[in-house]
Formats: sequence, C-alpha cells, structure tokens
Amino acid sequence: MTNHLLNFFTVIDNQGGIIVRDAPKFDLDLYIQNYRGRTRFDRLFLIGRSSVPLCVDALKAATAEAKRGRDTQRYREVVEHLRIAAPNEPEATFDQAWLESTESANRNETHRLTAELKGYKNNLIKESIRMGNEDLGKHLESIGDLNGAAESYSKMRPDVSTPKQIVDVGKHLVRVSLQRREWSMVSAHLSKMGGNQNSEDEKTLQPYIKIVSGIALMGQERFHEAAIAFLAADAEVAASHYNEVASPNDVAIYGGLLALASMDRRDLQTKVLDNSSFRTFLEREPHIRRAVTQFVNGRYSACIATLESHRPDYLLDIYLQKHIPKIYDEIRNKCIVQYLIPFSRVKLDTMQAAFGGPDKFVEDELFTMIKAGTLKASVNTIDKLVTTVSPNSRLKMQADALETARSYEKQAIDRLRRMSIAAADLEFKGQRRTGGMHGLGASVDMFDETTV
Amino acid sequence: MDHRAAMDHCASVLLAFPPASELADNEQYHKAVRLHIQKVEKLMAENGPAFPAYAENLLGVIHPADHSISYLALLQSLLTRDTPIQGGLLPQITTFLMTFDPRQIRYVGLAFSSLLKTVSGGELFPASVAGDLLATALLRIDPSGSVLTSHHIAAVNLAYETDNVDPVLPLIEKTIVFYPGVKSTESRYPCDMESSPVAYVTPESGLTTKLTSTAVLQYDLLCGMCFMQKRLWRQAFDALERVVTYPTKDVGCSKIMVEAHNKWVLVGLLLNGKTPTLPPITGQSAQKAYSTLGKPYSSIGKAFEKDTAETLKAEFESLGLRFWAEDGNLGLMQLVLSHYQRWQIVNLRDVYTKISLEQIRKRTQSAETGGQLATGDEMKALVQSMIDDGMLNGVIETPADGTPAYLTFIEPTEDLSEADFAAQLLLTARRMKDLGPIVKATNERLAMNRDYLRAVIKDQRREKDGLGRDPVAQFDTSIEDEDLMTGILPGR
Repeated sequence: MTNHLLNFFTVIDNQGGIIVRDAPKFDLDLYIQNYRGRTRFDRLFLIGRSSVPLCVDALKAATAEAKRGRDTQRYREVVEHLRIAAPNEPEATFDQAWLESTESANRNETHRLTAELKGYKNNLIKESIRMGNEDLGKHLESIGDLNGAAESYSKMRPDVSTPKQIVDVGKHLVRVSLQRREWSMVSAHLSKMGGNQNSEDEKTLQPYIKIVSGIALMGQERFHEAAIAFLAADAEVAASHYNEVASPNDVAIYGGLLALASMDRRDLQTKVLDNSSFRTFLEREPHIRRAVTQFVNGRYSACIATLESHRPDYLLDIYLQKHIPKIYDEIRNKCIVQYLIPFSRVKLDTMQAAFGGPDKFVEDELFTMIKAGTLKASVNTIDKLVTTVSPNSRLKMQADALETARSYEKQAIDRLRRMSIAAADLEFKGQRRTGGMHGLGASVDMFDETTV
Repeated sequence: MDHRAAMDHCASVLLAFPPASELADNEQYHKAVRLHIQKVEKLMAENGPAFPAYAENLLGVIHPADHSISYLALLQSLLTRDTPIQGGLLPQITTFLMTFDPRQIRYVGLAFSSLLKTVSGGELFPASVAGDLLATALLRIDPSGSVLTSHHIAAVNLAYETDNVDPVLPLIEKTIVFYPGVKSTESRYPCDMESSPVAYVTPESGLTTKLTSTAVLQYDLLCGMCFMQKRLWRQAFDALERVVTYPTKDVGCSKIMVEAHNKWVLVGLLLNGKTPTLPPITGQSAQKAYSTLGKPYSSIGKAFEKDTAETLKAEFESLGLRFWAEDGNLGLMQLVLSHYQRWQIVNLRDVYTKISLEQIRKRTQSAETGGQLATGDEMKALVQSMIDDGMLNGVIETPADGTPAYLTFIEPTEDLSEADFAAQLLLTARRMKDLGPIVKATNERLAMNRDYLRAVIKDQRREKDGLGRDPVAQFDTSIEDEDLMTGILPGR
C-alpha cells in the first residue's frame, strides 16, 4: 500500500467507514455496467472509499461518472478523496473550467424551469404544471439537490391523471428516498404505487416494487420480510426496468443471503431452491446457490466457508455493507443451532474445527448465543463438551405450579390488604391541584413527614 | 380504716375477679369483667393519693397472669405518681407484659396502651429489651399479627432508630391485612375468643389509635429498612413493594412512596439480579412519579443488566457519592455494585456446567473497579464466599494433577417426587384456607361500608325503576369498587 493510500484509509477509518482489504471477485467495469442512473456514482464512490485494491480505479471511474453528470458537489467530493488517495493522478486536480461552466448552467436551468413552472401555474393547466414540476424535480435531482427534488416530485401528485403518471411520481419519489436512505419513506411511496394498472404494466412493474421494497425492509433490518420480497421478484422482466436501483445479480445475492439468515431448512428448499422464478436470478450468482444448497444439506461449515470467501464482494455493496456483519452472524448462529440438533453432546474441539478459526473461538460465540436464548445448550469447558439441553418439562411444570400457587396467595393477601385500606379510608390522598398544573401528572406531596 | 385494713380491702377487691373457668359463657365473662373494672376504678378513686403506696406492696400479692386487669391498674398508678419509682418496677412490668391474660386486657385497652407507650418511649428499658417486650405483648394480644396498631409503628421505629432489629422481627414478619379505623360492626362480646382480632383491636377499645396513611406507609418502609439491615432481601422487597403499590386516591404520590420505590429497585437488583417490574396494581400517578423521580435508579437498573460493568460504574459515579448519600442509599448502592459481579457469575450457570476459575475471571467484571479481578486468588475467594452464602449452587474443584481449579455448577433441583410436590401445593392450599376468617372479616366490614351500601341501594332502586344496566349511570356508582379491585387481572 502506498503512503497516500495508507493516509487515505486512516482518514476513512477515523470517520468510522468500513475498510475491505481483500480484493473482491468481480470486475469493476463489468460490475458497473449493470446499472444506470445516479446509483452508478454512489456505488463507485462507495467502492472507492472501502476497497483497498480498487480504491484508485473506482475513484477515477467515479470522477469520470460525476463529470458526465451535472452534480458539481459530487465531483468536488470525489476529487477531494482522490487528492488524498492518489494525488499524482491527472483526475486529482479540479477541472475549474468545467466546474464553473456547469454551475452557472445549472443555475440558469433552475431559473428557467422555475420561471416556466410559474407560467404554467398562472395558466392553470394541470398537465403543464405536472410536467413543469417533473422537469424541475429531475433537474434538481441531477444537480444533487435531493430535498428540492423530493419537494418538486411530491408537488406533481395533485395533478396526475393517469395510472402511468402515478407510477412515475412514485418511482421518482422512491428513487430520491433511496438516495437519502429514508427506508420508511421508500415503503410509504411504494404503497401508493400499486393497483389500477393494466396487466402488462403491472407485470413490468412487479420486480421493481418487490426489489425496492426488499431493499427498504433490509434497511430497516426486517430481514425475513425483505427476503420474501426479493424471492417474489419476477425474473422474466428485463433488468432495464429496475437497474437504476439494483441488478439481477444483486437480487440473487440479497434474496439468497437474507433467506439464509431468516429461514429454516424446509423454507430454503421450497421457497429458494425450488422457486423457478428466483432460480433464474440464482443462476447469475452460482455460489449463493451453492451456499443455500450446502445449508439445506447440512454441510454448515462448507456453507460458511463459501459465504466467507465472498464477504469482500458483499461488503462493497451499497445496500448490504452495513448489514453484512449482522446477516453473517445470524447465518452462523443458525448453522450452529442446526449443527447441534442431532446430537446430545458434541466435543468443543469438533465445533471449533467446524465453526471456529485461528482467531475466532466458537466458545465465545456459544456463550453469546446461549445467553441470548438462541441456543439451548450448556458448555463444559473442563471436559470440553457442548451438551444440548432438553428442557425438563416436568421440573418446569412443577416450578410453574408452585410459582402460580405462591403468586395466587400473594395476590389474595394483597387484595385483602387493599380492601382493608380502602375500608379504613386510609388511601393516600394527593392534594388536588387547581389551575391546570399537570406538568408532572402527579403531585408529589413534599410535606409529608419522613422520619428516615 | 387503718392502713392495714385499707390494704386488705384493696387486695380483696383486686383479687375478686373469678378465674375464667368459673364463668360459664361469654356473656357472664363480659358482665364480670365490667363489674370488676368498675370496682377497681372506684377503689382507686376512694383511696386517692394513698393508693400508689398500697400498690407497691400489693404487686407482690396479685398474680399478673390471673388478675391482669388489677395488676395493670397497680402498675398504672405507680407509673403515674409524682415520685418516680425506683428501679424496682422494671421486673414487674417485664413479667406482666410477658404473661398477661390477653382476654382481660381487651377491656382495658387505654391503660394497656399507655403502658406500652411508656415502654416504647425508650426511657424505661434499654431499646433491645423494649423491642422484645413490645413484640411479645402485641403478639399476645393478636397472635395472628394481622392488625396494624399504633404500637407497631412505635416499636419498629424504636428498633430501627436504635439498631435493635432482631427483637421485633417476629412482629414485623407477620402479614398485616387489617387497619384500624373501620366502624366496628361486631355484635359479639370483646371477650369472645372466636372473634377476629379486628373486632377488639380498635381505636374504640383503646388498643390502638387511629392511623394516617403516612403512618401506614412509614411502617412498611421502616419494616423494609429493618429487613435490609438484616439482609433479608426477600422480606425487604415485599415490604417495600407494599409501599410502592399503596393505593392512592386522586392524583398523588407520597414522598415516602418515591423513597421506597428507589430502595425497592435496588433491593430487587440484589435479590433477583434484575430490575423489578412495577406490579400492575401500582397507581397511575405513582407510576408517573416513579418514572420521573426515580430516573437515576432505573438507569442503575438498566446498567446492572448490561454485560459489562462499565456502564454501572459510570452511572454510579456520574451522580457522585453525595447524591446517593443524600438519598440515604449509599450503603445499598455499594452493595449493588459489589453484587454485580456475583450475579454475573450466577448467570454463567445458564451457559456452563463446568468452567475454570480463570475463565470466570475473564468473563466477569467487578462494578467497583470496572474491570476484571486482578488475581485468581481473589476470584476463588469471591466464588467461595458466594457458595458459602448459598447464592451459588456449586463446588470449586481442584484437580489433583495440577490443572487449574474449576467451578462445577450443581443442577438446580432434581424434580420433586409426586408426593413432595403434592405436599407443597397442599401447604399453599392450607395457607389459602387460613385466609378464610380474614376474608370473612373483610367481607363483614365491607358489607357495612357506607359507600358500598349506597351503591347497593342505588342498584336496587335502579332495578325497581326497570332501567336495567345503563353503563353511563353505572359508572359513578361503581367507581368506588373499581378502586378496590384495581389490578384484578386474569390470574397469572
């Protein structure tokens, strides 16, 4: 690693960013070809900020991508990064002329569109107002003013007249919300899009809705629901209908990983492997399919190894990055639970060989899992055994019965006591406050004497 | 009458009360006692200032258990006379309080109360003796210990203030279910041995005075603190919970309740290793007050449940020793801190069957230092002390081959045999059955309650009017009952 890169990643580390040292298995150019729209820049920029081997390439590609657009803020940002990471590259200096011309063009365009919109509004022609808002929204989005864009797009809504337009408004708003990482807004906008379509349109829209809602659910860590959404996406529809958000490969990865993290073996078999539509997606990412098959077949350590080898790839994904540790943990936990099911006791060493690593002690993991209640087992560190605990239902029943009896008795006495207090007119009476003073909701009598 | 004859006369009057076996029934007993009291009073009035002088000599003649009323009269006259009695009276008072006949005393409550007050005043006897005497005397009057009296409060106050908790433990361990202040509806004679203590321990009989809600709250809080001194966490927790859930009317919450709540949270941590949840019967306004005024304590509770000790230590230190000292909870807080690691170790039982001491050292932290224990020896000492306290069910084993020592958790309990289990359930059932008389007494008392009667009359009138059950009209009449029944939820 050159000194510059080292400095760069120290800065990123201090900002709390994730750093991926291993080279991913994909090719950057091929990868980015799968997408269109603003997500291309976002993805390149994220890879540039995270991946050590791809850093400079990705940042350079991002610079080029930014220059193709009109968002000067992005350009500044990526060049700033590149100046630290690779100051000797030609792209690392600001193209001042381009910046100035673009910025002034942007300003003029904003002016023009705003003025136009004003004109439409005076004429009170609904369709023109809608289009004026749409144009302004698109323009603002392209120059990076997402707040303004969201506002313009939502102003389109009162003037829509056809189902197609409803969908368009929805897509615009969803796109902006996705860029702003407002997952619940994404879901809200999506819910307004469905229905009222002729079957053809609906069919092409289906994967878009499923995929975007999957991403939104994933953003809210609702993994199981997200997995179901991804698995339902229709593979027949061309990727161009949704590739401004995600590629078919992404669908396979998101769906597969989340299903692994949140479904049991039977569901994995019926809903993932036997799912003919999803199979088409899975063919693009054969190792995900392999990992699922391995899990279903009970080869847990192989499954984990397959996933581990692709961890760098997934860590460079714009939507997955944040959730990978959690998803992987859940998959591992499930593997460990499933692994232990057929046994009554397992040697700790065997488990260490299956799940541990040189710096990863399976005992620590077992400790957390048992404590959290995900695993019913106990560990004997002296004889190096993991014993699965079968609940002693009789003991539990007895304890419950005695506890019920005890609490029943306590409640009975308690109630008698309270009735007595009431009968003797001994309830504590707070001073009724007049004048709407309800700040505390309860007045605490500070004047009753305390001897303690 | 000369001196000698007067004294003889006194003795004959005082001894005139026949033994209970000669009185056929309660009615006769009642009449005989009434008559006897009249005579004694008359005697004291007749002899005037000379009576105490006789009394001193008569004490030796009258038996405190057989003629408790007479004996009490003698004591009273000696205690109220201007020249204080020389130390000689203490043994007599002691004997009297330990042996008096509770049936007779039911008729002379006021005099008896004033004697108890003298004792609880703390000047006559050393506090430890006074506590013992009060507890014994009160339990002789009401062996069930189910009625709270003003003397209970004085006794527990004395015990707590002078740090003499042991003597009153038998008294404060009783379950209080009755409180004085309800108009008695008892038709039986006070001497009826069948009647519930609530019938004769009343302000009217003089055996207690009327109480205020503050006094009741204070009693339970003091009980809690006494139990805390003896490290009886379960009892302390229950006592404090009684304060926390004390019924309130209107918007209001006593300062005592807030104070109790804070202690209750900490005791709950010591007892169960986790923050207690407020029982559903807790009053609404009280809950609000607890959540605002008890905030430092609930954050301590949250921190206690964390996996590392740092938060707890930080929470404790951020408020400073002074805060906890001013709240009167510094000692308790320090115990909570020291118990944090103990509970961590106990909770290891869920994960491990055997674990080396070294691993325990690595896995647990002390909340006092915020870090792990420094040496294995410290660890061993801590685990051993926990085993000795009975907090931890396990053994430390040191293998002969020199491998490090480890802890083996012993399985909680083997399941009970069917017979043992049935016996335990039966025990509870029996205790429930024992509540029968209390339920009956409560029922009788409530049946005469003004509010209840008003509701019944209204109900009857409504039925007569044929209005049926109008939910709106029902509301204001049923509200009183609702107060009583707050928290009646489907049995857990």
